[in-house]
Amino acid sequence: MSDEEKDEMVGYRQQPGKISFSRPGSGGKNSFSEPRDEKMIPESQGGEKKQPWGDHRHDNLITGRVVGKSTSLVDSNWKVTGRAKYGDDIRLPAELIGKIVRSPYHYARVLSIDLSEASKLPGVISIATGEDAKNKFGVLPVTKDEHAMAVDRVRHIGDLIACVAAEDEATALEAVRLIKIEYEILDSIHDMKDGLKDSEVPIHDRGEYHIGEANIQKRVFQEFGHIKSMKENSVASHKKNWFFNGVNHAATEPHAVVADWDPSGRLTLYTPQQVPHYVHRALADVLEIPMHQINVHRTFVGGGFGGKSDPFPHEMCASILARKSGRPVRITFDREEVYWINRGRHPSHIEMNLHADDEGRLCGIETDALIDGGAFASFGHVTTYYNGVLHTAPYEIGAFHYTGARVWTNKPASGAMRGHGAVNSRCAVEVGIDDISEQLQVDPISFRLANLLPPHSATITGFRVTSIGMRECLERVMKESGWKEKFRKMPLGHGIGIGCGFFISGSGLPIHWDPNKFPHATVHLKIDMDGGVTVHTGAADIGQGSDTVVAQSVAEVLGLPLDMIRIKSRETDTSPVDLGSYSSRVTFMNANAAISAAMEIRSDLLNATSEITKAPIEKLVIGDRRIFRKDEPAIGVSYLEALHKAQEDRGALVASGAYRTPPMGRAHKGAAAGLAPAYSFSAYVAEVKVDVETGQTKVEKVWAAHDCGKALNPLAVKGQIIGSCHMGMGQVLSEEMRYGRTGNLMNTDLLDYKIPSVHEMPHVTPIIVESNDPEGPFGAKEAGEGPLLPILPAVCNAVYDAIGVRTNELPITPDRLHKNIERKCRELKIDDPNDLPSPRLEHSKLQDTLEKRAKEHSIRDKERRLTSEIEPYHNGALFGMDPTIPPDEVDESWEVTVIPSEEYLENPRLAGSAWVHTERRKRGI
Amino acid sequence: MKMPPFKLYSPSSVDEAIQIAKSLQSKQEDFDWISGGTDLIPNYKWHLNPKKNVISLANISQLTELTETTIGGMVRLQDLAESEFTHPVLAKSANSIASIMIRRSGTVGGNICLDTRCYWYNQTEDWRETIDWCHKCDCGTGADCRVIPNQNTLCVATYQADLAPVLMCMEARVHLISTSGKREMNLIDFFELDGMKKNKLLPGELLTHITIPEEISTWSGDYQKLRQRESWDFPEAGVAALWKKKEGKLEKLRIATTGLESIPGYHEDLAMELVENWEGEESIKYLSEKIRKAVKPVPNTWYTPAYRRKMVKVLTKRACKGLLSE
Ligand SMILES: Cc1cc2nc3c(=O)[nH]c(=O)nc-3n(C[C@H](O)[C@H](O)[C@H](O)COP(=O)(O)OP(=O)(O)OC[C@H]3O[C@@H](n4cnc5c(N)ncnc54)[C@H](O)[C@@H]3O)c2cc1C
Ligand code: SF4
Repeated sequence: MSDEEKDEMVGYRQQPGKISFSRPGSGGKNSFSEPRDEKMIPESQGGEKKQPWGDHRHDNLITGRVVGKSTSLVDSNWKVTGRAKYGDDIRLPAELIGKIVRSPYHYARVLSIDLSEASKLPGVISIATGEDAKNKFGVLPVTKDEHAMAVDRVRHIGDLIACVAAEDEATALEAVRLIKIEYEILDSIHDMKDGLKDSEVPIHDRGEYHIGEANIQKRVFQEFGHIKSMKENSVASHKKNWFFNGVNHAATEPHAVVADWDPSGRLTLYTPQQVPHYVHRALADVLEIPMHQINVHRTFVGGGFGGKSDPFPHEMCASILARKSGRPVRITFDREEVYWINRGRHPSHIEMNLHADDEGRLCGIETDALIDGGAFASFGHVTTYYNGVLHTAPYEIGAFHYTGARVWTNKPASGAMRGHGAVNSRCAVEVGIDDISEQLQVDPISFRLANLLPPHSATITGFRVTSIGMRECLERVMKESGWKEKFRKMPLGHGIGIGCGFFISGSGLPIHWDPNKFPHATVHLKIDMDGGVTVHTGAADIGQGSDTVVAQSVAEVLGLPLDMIRIKSRETDTSPVDLGSYSSRVTFMNANAAISAAMEIRSDLLNATSEITKAPIEKLVIGDRRIFRKDEPAIGVSYLEALHKAQEDRGALVASGAYRTPPMGRAHKGAAAGLAPAYSFSAYVAEVKVDVETGQTKVEKVWAAHDCGKALNPLAVKGQIIGSCHMGMGQVLSEEMRYGRTGNLMNTDLLDYKIPSVHEMPHVTPIIVESNDPEGPFGAKEAGEGPLLPILPAVCNAVYDAIGVRTNELPITPDRLHKNIERKCRELKIDDPNDLPSPRLEHSKLQDTLEKRAKEHSIRDKERRLTSEIEPYHNGALFGMDPTIPPDEVDESWEVTVIPSEEYLENPRLAGSAWVHTERRKRGI
Repeated sequence: MKMPPFKLYSPSSVDEAIQIAKSLQSKQEDFDWISGGTDLIPNYKWHLNPKKNVISLANISQLTELTETTIGGMVRLQDLAESEFTHPVLAKSANSIASIMIRRSGTVGGNICLDTRCYWYNQTEDWRETIDWCHKCDCGTGADCRVIPNQNTLCVATYQADLAPVLMCMEARVHLISTSGKREMNLIDFFELDGMKKNKLLPGELLTHITIPEEISTWSGDYQKLRQRESWDFPEAGVAALWKKKEGKLEKLRIATTGLESIPGYHEDLAMELVENWEGEESIKYLSEKIRKAVKPVPNTWYTPAYRRKMVKVLTKRACKGLLSE
């Protein structure tokens, strides 16, 4: 071959007259490709990366570029240089400022609204009231109970009544003052227990589905397993009545929105949303325009944590005002308004009962959870289930009884918050296990290790659990914290405690459609001559790094540096529908969709390379911007060469990938709640100092192990773990939405809503456990919410270890703990709390039994995760049932019940008493 | 949130400040002094008794003097905390105030003259409307106090500043100036038992500096503060103790408290009783119990009054711990 011929690329088209194009480079900043990083290539592909948890279906896609490497988030430069535009940073020409008129009453009928003075005020451009938008909306299609503004009643202080758009803020505020409203005050409900009773004017009317005449929004009854015998079989029981105060997400950025109707008659809504798609739908309903006329533009989100995942009335208000005025309208919340809109964690009364038998098995869990929904449904339907079903793992249990109820009260609405529905009852379970272990005189970690479900098993309610790294999490924190030297051995005031967590990695059920019909997530890719990959995704980056995960997934499969990936995730006009950032679904679902899309492009590139090099496709591998023969790396082409070849006949490459969950779960009512394609696990040990004289608790150190399947970006996973610790510490130590004696929320500001400061933050050692989930993208599961769960019980249990006092109310503010210390002193007839005895542990014989069982289970679990043919394992096997068959199919006494019996209703628990009422339709009303 | 507009004056000397005050007063216009603004500005934002005029003391260099015996009203809290001239107990209390950012703006004058605080009052305008206002900022409605209702005369908002108790134990004197001239008094006499009036400042009077007797540098002591978080939070209770020993014998003891009532408390008699009957640990216990009984907190801050009283006992014990060891 002559030199000239060599430069003429095979397959690279030449102009007539033989003017040769220069050979395209590798693409990217550095013109030289780096050698493949064999340390990142899995053993199954001949690389050096060890795979103690077995291989994975994505192993052959690993190019060793970015996955598994700590990477700063792709949008971080925008944030740190102040260039990121959040909700309130959007400035459009001729914008108006919108302000909201809010209710000063807890509960009232709106009799009349007089706009005459306000509309005369110069500078006021438009005013809207409930009359302008009568259609209801709500995040869940089954419980739409919100209006843009009050239609007949206001249901909590801060509820919306009207809104004003004016030339400037001062004018808008003055107009708000000039609007005169007449009210008829109604009797308001503040104590959630009152919500269970019949009321004269229930806060909402569910028509024929209304439960009694009460304020019960949702009730759940579930019984699984050997309910009848659990108490008989128990040798130790734990019972505790908890009260969890409500907490708010308190994201740094208050809600803000800009609505703009453009000259072509389309609405663009700029909003820091976690779930743009639901707002999209709700806007169409409320504004009565087709969805295609609306473009939801997600701005940068200054923190969401669930607080920006509902479609919100203020988003409707801005849109209505913009439509009326013909000008863009911006509404930005004051911090106080963030608390009015709330959607924070539900204030909850939880009764937790645990029973253990003489072999140290959990023969029963009985939970009763009454949760305070505030004035609207929000995600509450789901929360009511989650408070029960999300503690049916990681432990194998003999029976599970759950009664849950959510009531409306005249408070700002509760909703979804990081760890949705699982946090409070998880805390109660884990504290219960600490107590049960103490009664049994065994180490609580040993107790847990001897009661874990194995990988690839089904929980008592029928959740399909795939990978489980719970055992490793426990073993790691035990070792690194020096548990054995410290637990029940430290002096008064110094304690250590353990807590575990279990959380969904994506909700199995898309809220708006049948999962068999449409996918949960779709990702589009486009690559043109420049080699950069444009990724269109609707997943909402809310600071958690979802853009980065998608970029990493695509970059990994195509062997590209991250800066060659461009994420377009902001606008519903260009992005495929995505269900949004909630239920820790994004990494699992969206990265899977992105991988599928990238696989299509990968196959195009491999075909093109094969055509150029004549090498068979099976022999080719992708490295850094280069595709080559694995056995003879010198033979290959650059990424751009392959790309251009692939583009020859069709121009830009496009591909689409989607993710849907596999069919799973059982058939009983409510079986879908809590169902997820994978679950995360975590175990934390906290070490605390408690001042016995003041009741002040200081968390000194935390060892935090989380099983995220595979850390696609270890830096981000560690960030989530540390951030979760901080957030959970807030709930356990100092954060609460505090209602005063008049029912007013007393602390609607960040001085009195007490988020831990940097001084309160302990030293956190994040420990990543990678259980390699078979269906997760490259093995990954969630890491955004699950890591919050264990910190609460770990701290509660550490406080007990320190001073021998248990709490039953969160947050454990010093005054609350001090009361409990005083009580304990009185019980023990001790004058000075410094003389309190520290809890000590002397092992019973059961300890050996548990250790032995844990060892056996450890071997069982390792086998199960490595074999390719896995036998079914149903919860119940530990109690002697056949693991391969759902126990209810072989044992009649194994309950699967979702309706309470007459007998139960004679003496129901607190939330269970919601079932005493009969629905209107069943009463013939 | 929008602050109501005001006119800002920035005099560069005390005389000029007094002149401005005089001319505003002659026009019947009201005004507030502002030093660091870390208290006043949040209150203005919440429309808590804002005035149409504000006179800033920030440019008056005369007010920034800081020596062992003189502390200017405009001395920043962080400077006070870090200065070699500052008595360690005063430095400790200064260092416990708010956060470092606030301490860099906040001043000694502003801290002493800090507005009293209350859960029903330190709230936005919209919020206060929902409780129909309260006596301290009633917006012309004649509203009742929400903490102790059915008495329209007294506000029991809580004084939650940290420097005063320590300075009281130091027998500091406050130096004031107004259109009617200069005057000075003991800090102990400066406060007035009314959450609205707060102190003895006349309309238009300002605090120029405080002085501390020289001998205080030989005294020992401690300041103990109760709060939820180690940063930001106002004192829910605070106890300062200063004492002087001679040849190992306790000669003098002074105790003051803050964060418990509308004014800081000075417990002269109780301290004296302890000195006269000094019997070590038992005496401290006795004193702590007496102080617990002497203070009467009300439910208008983060912690309950019962807890705050119990904690005063613990704080007193801890503040006096040094009495045993030295
Ligand atoms: C989040 C936060 C936390 C805080 N935590 C604490 C705390 O822990 N402990 C604490 O003590 N304080 C705390 N503060 C209150 C305040 O920051 C400090 O007390 C500070 O010292 C006030 O000083 P300043 O100069 O900023 O006062 P300014 O806001 O300027 O003034 C306060 C008041 O004093 C008057 N005034 C100011 N200077 C003079 C003067 N020379 N003569 C007469 N009147 C004057 C003003 O008119 C005003 O009424 C906190 C404040 C915030 C916002
Ligand atoms: S103590 Fe009473 S009058 Fe004073 S601020 Fe509080 S509620 Fe108002």
